[in-house]
Amino acid sequence: MNSGSIQSENFLDRESSLGVLLMLPGLILLAVFLAYPFFLGIWLSLTDTRIGMPGEFIGLWNYVDLLEDEIFHQTAWNTMIYALVTVPFKAVMGLGLALILNNQIRFSNPIRAFIMLPWIVPTALSSLGWFMIFDPVFSPISWLMIEMGFIDSNINFLGDQLIAVTAICWVNIWRGIPFFGISILAGLQAVPPELHEQAAIDGANKFNRFNHVTLPHIKGILMITSLLSVIWTFADFQLIYVLTKGGPANQTHIFGTYAYQVGLSGTEIGMGAAITLYMFPILAFFSIILLRYMRKTA
Amino acid sequence: MEKVNDNQLKSIPEEMTENGVTRRQIIKTGAAAGAVALMGGFPNISSAQNKTLNIVRGTYFIPAAQEIAKQQAEEFGKQAGVKVNADFLNWPDLQTKIGAGLQAGGVDVIELWPVQNHLYANNLVDMTDEAEEVASRGGGFEEYVLNSGHVNGRYLGIPHGNNAGTIAYRISAFEKAGVKHADKGGMDMTWDEYFAVAKECKKMGMPFGQSLGHSLGDPIGFCYPYMWASGALEVGDDGKTILFNTPTFEYALNKFVQAWKDGYDETGTSWDDSSNNRAYLSGKIASTFNGASIYYASKRRDDGGKLMNDTHHMLLPKGTAGRYHEFGTQTMGILNNSENIDVAKEYLKWWFQPENFDKWWRVQEGYQLHHVKNLANDPMWQDDPKMGIFKEIPKYGRLRGFAGNPNEKASLAASKYIVVDTFAKAVQSGDAKDALEWGERQLKRIYR
Repeated sequence: MNSGSIQSENFLDRESSLGVLLMLPGLILLAVFLAYPFFLGIWLSLTDTRIGMPGEFIGLWNYVDLLEDEIFHQTAWNTMIYALVTVPFKAVMGLGLALILNNQIRFSNPIRAFIMLPWIVPTALSSLGWFMIFDPVFSPISWLMIEMGFIDSNINFLGDQLIAVTAICWVNIWRGIPFFGISILAGLQAVPPELHEQAAIDGANKFNRFNHVTLPHIKGILMITSLLSVIWTFADFQLIYVLTKGGPANQTHIFGTYAYQVGLSGTEIGMGAAITLYMFPILAFFSIILLRYMRKTA
Repeated sequence: MEKVNDNQLKSIPEEMTENGVTRRQIIKTGAAAGAVALMGGFPNISSAQNKTLNIVRGTYFIPAAQEIAKQQAEEFGKQAGVKVNADFLNWPDLQTKIGAGLQAGGVDVIELWPVQNHLYANNLVDMTDEAEEVASRGGGFEEYVLNSGHVNGRYLGIPHGNNAGTIAYRISAFEKAGVKHADKGGMDMTWDEYFAVAKECKKMGMPFGQSLGHSLGDPIGFCYPYMWASGALEVGDDGKTILFNTPTFEYALNKFVQAWKDGYDETGTSWDDSSNNRAYLSGKIASTFNGASIYYASKRRDDGGKLMNDTHHMLLPKGTAGRYHEFGTQTMGILNNSENIDVAKEYLKWWFQPENFDKWWRVQEGYQLHHVKNLANDPMWQDDPKMGIFKEIPKYGRLRGFAGNPNEKASLAASKYIVVDTFAKAVQSGDAKDALEWGERQLKRIYR
């Protein structure tokens, strides 16, 4: 055995060097696909760059300017509503779904797979389906309600502020329920059945058993799924873009769609980057809570 | 193939064919095509092997035109020995694709909507020579092309006309509402008269339809002309002074708000560019602002010509400040970061040859207005008198950003739907004054 191969064996034997080596591919991927775009985004947001035109460094001007932008205010408010209203609904409905699926029912596996569909189907595709359901002129819901005599004219699903916000929140909830349902189901199945049996022997009814046995066991999963869902919903784009493109009159714009409109359609890519980066502290806040919680429970 | 020399060409009298093309031009074109064939391809394309030409165009409301454009791209690829990808994108996504192409490459030829030649002026290949060749071959560009096709005297792409929008209406509904000569088309109405007809039609269960959603075609095509006709502008000719919130426009916008309740399908706040087509073709609405695609589709319906015979067109109505249409030319441009500029140029020169371009243009039956004067007398226009009104539209055409320049600020205002959203806010809240003040504040931010 020559000295070169001995050296390489030593190198691979050392935990520190082997660890770095194993992390390298992941590190390169993160650097290329996450860190580079992120830092490029920060740089762009500090310039007045337009698509196809070099920009100049303007400091925090884009960020300051957005504070005076009424559409941005509306966008920020819409995003908060969109993320914070939908998540509790997804959590409660997902929990209900998980409790149903946790019972011994026939064809439980195909049913579980079927219920995952809204989560599995690409959002752009499922949103197109909802776009047809909410069609202002040919909505099957409007048609049915008119036929049944409940209403006289079509429902303006995506053209009235309150109904449009409700409609997009509903589609987001519909898409998110399976994620909560399946995650919570995994937690429910990890609850030892003996605990339920003992509680029942002690006289606890179903509600008490749920409150004092089930809930403490799935609290962690509920927390993690809710935080993940808030983060994903904040950063949503496809659903809104397909359904309303931020309309009517910007009443459904969220950070992603407004940034797209200003940065790509309007070519002010520096300003568009600043809009998206306003999401960063909010997402960072939720991510830190999530990571701290996960570390604590681990 | 026999070669035709210049002396032989000069000996041929300059008689116009029925297409308005001279025999000499036809022979010249044929000779050029023959030369290409004899030389075995396109001499200006250097080492074409392994080259891929990426063409991006807007999706067509006339499906046959899209099919022909696609076939022609493939045909060029075969002749030139290059691989050709032709993509047809939803209109609002074109700018995004241009942006992606400029940042990351991968786009060679791009179909530019009016004003986009100004917006991307620093990123497009100068094609003045090629454009002027197309113009001279076609008897000169139409006036609207001369006004809107160039950027500071340079053609940054070859103009190819534009799909013009105007009012399509049901003759029977208009007649029932008391409009005289509705069957003749081309009525010279004011907005007040048009709204009065809308009210009557809605009473009959067939309202008017207008998209006020976030879509770049019909909402802008309707709202900008209404603004101009009501004595308001996004910005004055100094490019800075906002002339949007004027008393005459406030008055007119209040009228529109009332008309929206009385005469329109109020779900229009969420309509896109295709919603009004579907609503009209299914008999839900009596009139709408649209390109000729509604009439084109009505001609192909299996209803014994019922809808086609009951459909006609008129120009947008007049307001207190006149009649306007939002209209300029589209151009086929080449991004200057393309690695295939030589191939892209050859493609465009080839596609604009009359035997290719005219085939694509004629199949649209007037949906796409012609770019060169010779096509104004094309037999295609004689086939259907109901299409004649579309040729009038350029006379009333203004570009976004008028009376300022059609620059990046005008484009940002359009991309942010400021004017359209002013209309949408007004009809939603019923408060035209508040909506106008909002629009004015937004425009001041853009044009500062």
